[in-house]
Amino acid sequence: MATLNDLKISEVKLSEGEGGKWGMVIDQDICTGCQACVAACAMENNISFVGEEDSGYGRSMHWIRIERFWEGEYPEVKMTPNQPMLCQQCGSAPCEPVCPAFATVHSQAEKLNLQVYNRCVGTRYCANNCPYQVRSFNWRDYKRPEPLANQLNPDVTVRRRGVMEKCTFCIQRIHKAQDQAKAEGREVMDGEFTTACAQACPANAITFGRTDDPRSLVSQLAKRRGHGAKHLEELGTLPNVTYFKGG
Amino acid sequence: MTDHKNHAEHAEAHLREKHLMLDPLPRGRMNEMVMESMRHITWKFWVVFGILAAISAYGLFYSWGVMIAEGLGVAGVNRPVYWGIFLVNTVFWIGISHAGTFISAILRVFKAEFRRPFTRAAELMTTFGLVQAGFSIFMHMGRVWLSYWLMPYPNQRLLWPNLHSPLSWDLLAITTYILGSTMYLFLPLIPDMAMARDRSTGWRKTLYKILALGFRGTEGEWTHLRNAMNIFAFAIIPVMFSVHTIVSWDFAAATRPGWSSTIFGPYFVIGALHSGMGAVITVLAIIRGTMKHMKYFIRPEHFDAIGKLMLIISMTWAYFFFNDYMVQWYGGDKWTKQLLHFHEAGPMGWMWFAMLVCNVVIPWAILWNPKWRSTPWLVSTVGIIINVGMWFERYIIVPISLTINRMPFTWRMYQPGIEIPLGIGTLAFFALLYMAASKLIPLIPVWEVQEGQMAHELKKFGRETVVTVSELE
Amino acid sequence: MSEKFSRRDFLKLAGMGAATTAVLTGCGPASRYVKREPYQQMPEYNYNGQSTYYATTCRECAAGCGLVIRTIQGRAIKTEGNANHPLNLGKTCARGQATLHGLYNPNRVRGPIKHARGDRLYAKANDPFNDNFDDAEPNMSWDEALQTVADALTKYKPEEIGFLMGMAPDHLFDLVTDLANATGINAPVRFGALGMFESRATLSKAAETLFGEARMPFFDVGGAQVVLSFGANFLETWLSPVSYTRGFASLRQAETKMRGKLVQFEARMSATGGKADEWVPLRPGTEALVALAIGRLASEIRGGAMPRVFSSVDPIDVASKSGVKLEALEHIAAMFANSTGALAIPGGAALGQSNGLAVAEAVLALNALADNFGKPGGVYFSPLAPSQTEYQRPASAKEMQDFVQKMKDGKFKALFIHGVNPVFELPASMDFKGALANVEQVISFATFPDETAAEADFIFPDHHGLESWGYQRVVTGSDLPVLSGAQPVVAPYYDTRAAADVLISAAQLAGGSFAQALPFKDEVEFLRGKVSALMGEANGSFSAMDAVAFMASFQQFGGWWKMSDGRTAPSAADALNQNVKGDAAEFAGEGEFFFIPFVSPTLAEAGANKPWLQELPDPTTTVMWNTWLEMNPETAHELHIEYDDVVRVVSEAGAVELPVYVYPAIRPDTVAMPFGQGHTAYGRYAEGRGVNPADLFGGHFNEAGDLAFAGMKVKIEKTGKKRPLSRLESMMGVYGVGLGEEH
Repeated sequence: MATLNDLKISEVKLSEGEGGKWGMVIDQDICTGCQACVAACAMENNISFVGEEDSGYGRSMHWIRIERFWEGEYPEVKMTPNQPMLCQQCGSAPCEPVCPAFATVHSQAEKLNLQVYNRCVGTRYCANNCPYQVRSFNWRDYKRPEPLANQLNPDVTVRRRGVMEKCTFCIQRIHKAQDQAKAEGREVMDGEFTTACAQACPANAITFGRTDDPRSLVSQLAKRRGHGAKHLEELGTLPNVTYFKGG
Repeated sequence: MTDHKNHAEHAEAHLREKHLMLDPLPRGRMNEMVMESMRHITWKFWVVFGILAAISAYGLFYSWGVMIAEGLGVAGVNRPVYWGIFLVNTVFWIGISHAGTFISAILRVFKAEFRRPFTRAAELMTTFGLVQAGFSIFMHMGRVWLSYWLMPYPNQRLLWPNLHSPLSWDLLAITTYILGSTMYLFLPLIPDMAMARDRSTGWRKTLYKILALGFRGTEGEWTHLRNAMNIFAFAIIPVMFSVHTIVSWDFAAATRPGWSSTIFGPYFVIGALHSGMGAVITVLAIIRGTMKHMKYFIRPEHFDAIGKLMLIISMTWAYFFFNDYMVQWYGGDKWTKQLLHFHEAGPMGWMWFAMLVCNVVIPWAILWNPKWRSTPWLVSTVGIIINVGMWFERYIIVPISLTINRMPFTWRMYQPGIEIPLGIGTLAFFALLYMAASKLIPLIPVWEVQEGQMAHELKKFGRETVVTVSELE
Repeated sequence: MSEKFSRRDFLKLAGMGAATTAVLTGCGPASRYVKREPYQQMPEYNYNGQSTYYATTCRECAAGCGLVIRTIQGRAIKTEGNANHPLNLGKTCARGQATLHGLYNPNRVRGPIKHARGDRLYAKANDPFNDNFDDAEPNMSWDEALQTVADALTKYKPEEIGFLMGMAPDHLFDLVTDLANATGINAPVRFGALGMFESRATLSKAAETLFGEARMPFFDVGGAQVVLSFGANFLETWLSPVSYTRGFASLRQAETKMRGKLVQFEARMSATGGKADEWVPLRPGTEALVALAIGRLASEIRGGAMPRVFSSVDPIDVASKSGVKLEALEHIAAMFANSTGALAIPGGAALGQSNGLAVAEAVLALNALADNFGKPGGVYFSPLAPSQTEYQRPASAKEMQDFVQKMKDGKFKALFIHGVNPVFELPASMDFKGALANVEQVISFATFPDETAAEADFIFPDHHGLESWGYQRVVTGSDLPVLSGAQPVVAPYYDTRAAADVLISAAQLAGGSFAQALPFKDEVEFLRGKVSALMGEANGSFSAMDAVAFMASFQQFGGWWKMSDGRTAPSAADALNQNVKGDAAEFAGEGEFFFIPFVSPTLAEAGANKPWLQELPDPTTTVMWNTWLEMNPETAHELHIEYDDVVRVVSEAGAVELPVYVYPAIRPDTVAMPFGQGHTAYGRYAEGRGVNPADLFGGHFNEAGDLAFAGMKVKIEKTGKKRPLSRLESMMGVYGVGLGEEH
């Protein structure tokens, strides 16, 4: 099995200002629902915890959540394959046009949906319009009692109340790797870095990389596994996350 | 012969009693009545005024302050119901504000004579309703202190609002509407301000002097005023239609089951008129019942006329509702079907049925009867019921429809929190503004009534007494 | 594992190499190694925007995963897996990620404290967002603390001194063992709730009976084709979840082989069961019978002589006893018999029953039938850690009961407790708390103000795991023998001191044999001695010329491991000729429901004080911040119980009240409940949240001495109360509640 250590320099030459097309492949067949990605994401991205009451009222701030349903009834009951649901970084994102303040915009460089926290005025239209319901809103200023704030990642903005947020594909890591590569006069290598969720996943169910590079691990995996599905593709959102459901 | 004469006189007296336009009073007397209705302030007024002021202060301003300080967590919004009663109230108040323009502009354009005594009452509703709509939409924002970012103002970093967003259109449309309708409220007010200026003393005189803009009633002034009013009457009509159409696009332009419906534009406009007419008739009944001399100006004939409009609008609304439902249901999208089923059979199904009862069943059952619809208390009760029904309709469209989306794992019910005091606060503040206005500006456009009365004449053709109206303009 | 190093790894390691010097200069006891240099070249952790990565070992459980902690300017920012560590290959579980919430927890013991037993160690603050420091103020100096420890060591006779320790860290255990060996004090006893729920004693006892060696078996899930898991929750907390999850992933989706199948036998669907291709809800207590029946049926399919171990079982009888249809048994047996890579794993609640040992033996016998010992996809013995000669398992619950009995009998005058929270973890019926009353002096080294610390006379807080030196032996999960290294990644946040340092200094103060037993300057010297003993070993992951360099590499790489497969094959000779008692288990208590406690996959035994772990949804129920009782919908319907209704669960030993989660994947005659909540102390995030199933456990054990935690029957009583559970899932979308559908 290819591992992250098999480094490849990208084949696709990028023009100035472009950063490749980043994508993710999620294998639901091996996702165990263990929540390591959720915890890793929260730690990397300074996501607030909201407490029992708010989290039970649909206000938890998880940028990635693992969905599961039930099929059949006892004793023939089955748990559906765990489905990690995060921002799909749509190529044609429904959240983008509806924001009156341009707080959620498409990045030409990374081909991602950016959420500009500082520009957000909190109309929450983007969240309504997100078919995947993966945006979380800062309903309050969820405080981190001292000294918990020591853990905050300085690369990621801490959000205040009234601001929408969502998965960024760990854009701070993308940028760091790009800066490093640029400083060394080379392209970013596949597997040089990955998102917090993919990095933590004990089952390697999440793979992140450049989908425009046929030699990258994500492209290879997508090819090998075949029959990948994009969620709610029929809406024309052009998601950048591919799911593999069963065996 | 005397019988005939008696009969004719009797008929004439009946007509005059029934129709304000045929029942003229001396100008001075009428002006005095209007002035007195403004000046006459009882202790009851102050009690109600005080209570409303307290409710507004707590419900609207204090609660809003709390929400700004604490964040929207004190409200009931959550994932997936990101929009709650704030948006319901916004749509509701914009709906209310439609009746004013409809009555004063459309009826003016079409020269419906019964409109004359209550155009201003309706226009005031428009302006004050829009104020509440503005409050509601700003409350809804996560960071209201940055709402000026939605305005296209020049700035060094060349950051402009996103004109792809229906919310930006909304903002423009509502701003246009509030400016236009305020001007349109003000123009017909000028002659009355001049009348009031000439009949008051003290601070009132100063106030009216300023507002009358030096109007003296010369022919030139009247011509200009008429021209301006005509232009505004025609111009405000498309604005009115556009506003609620654009409000509907907030929903219709979204990729959500139940929302992206092509018929939402006209459906919302008619819904707005539905609630607006209900609100007008309620306000008229209250004015008539509580203010001095108003029984002369506002008569059952007016309730009858508005009642007819309400019936027609209710029927139109029912048509649009059915059309919307039918098309969505027939489309067969599984999420839409799920949503429609949820509307009727979910935990809030009672609201869906109550909406139909309030908006269709009750209006139809009562308004078909001329006698019933001329009964102020009855028809204004229907008006209130329609407004409840229309509020339910918006509640079903916003928080209930938001419950169901394409990710069943996130479906969740909405339980309003601080929205309730805030909503009550806007209602109280609306009433408060209206009460204050009723004592500051003539609710009856005296000159319009007098103009109408001058134009109306009873003429006898043979034995028949016939109403004639001369062309004035 | 791959020989290739990624550029990133190279940079990381290069960084760590330099960083090692830096950390040595930075952190508390290590300050002796300071090489003073002018500030022309700043330590790299002083650069703005530059991260420094330190390799260490995770202390959230005893598995010993290697971590690389990203730090910026002296603050730990992010847990990442150590990509070169043979156990976890760069991966972590959720608890490893949240370890930073332990380090920066608002409720820690901030310095040495003398306090009256039972007193609070922090103000009661139920507001999770309260910003006030409300920990008890340290009221002693460390000098006084050291003197107290020295006095305790000398005042009492050696046999009156006891050490109760957690399953991590191993270096402290070794130090105390050395101390005990030299001075005659009682050998340290190790215990951990995870070990209790994993039934480690049963596993090694079964291995002893069948293979003649008391070792920890390793199940190579990844190489198998058909895996029959008898209650083993190996994707959650069992033994080494990260490693087993990796195995599961390659069972399903390895590039080189067909997709393997997982069959899970358990009465309540665990997160592991949820991933299974087939979930077989058998009657609790019949696991041994089912395993034997499958063995018999599989042997029949394979032909040849019937192995003795399976010969006495009657599949038809088993089918009726276990509630598993005969066809199902036959189908699974066929799958097992016809597969080239069949594997059977015993674990979880299956072992925590009165016949747990028989279950383990029967399941291991299945493996003997599959003839998979020492083969890919089969059963191995886990490699012994470097310099380890035999597998040391933690105390079984039975042994803990003896320990508690000794306490009650006043055999211990001084008790030192480190790294374990027995007041919370041990069955309440053992009454550890009560037994403490008969111990004159209780000294706790707790990092957090937990229940046991609150019952101690003195708390001399140890550093948090990320502030600590040490090592941990990897017991299972890796094919290589691994000694995983720990080093401080940040300077201690509070006035805490390493327990090893405290003991060393106190031993010096105490003088005599104590001083001779621990003749070290400090913990680091002790560590270096232990670690540099590996220098002579061949085939290591690195070598060095001298002890200091060796230690530096040990820190830099996060441990030392042999580069050769250390797994051994159990001898299968007699495994099929055993006589396994296949009787159904006995259940204590009078209720009508089997009771299955399971370790919360997200919280485990010590995660409850970490707010982000509390807010992680449980993998099966998605409940956050609380405990729940799982109940079959049919049962709930019969009892007129709805979701979120609070019920009273009564066992022979106690009763608890908790809300019901109507769970579609549990037997109607069974209820289940997670372990991990129900703290009465342990900080603001843990206290007063949920209930502790240990309050229900009676003192029943299996033949190996492990607690029969699943060997109980309980009664369910309605209370009429309701307590909404905080769930991530939608009741409407997942269960159709309130959608207006017909029920």
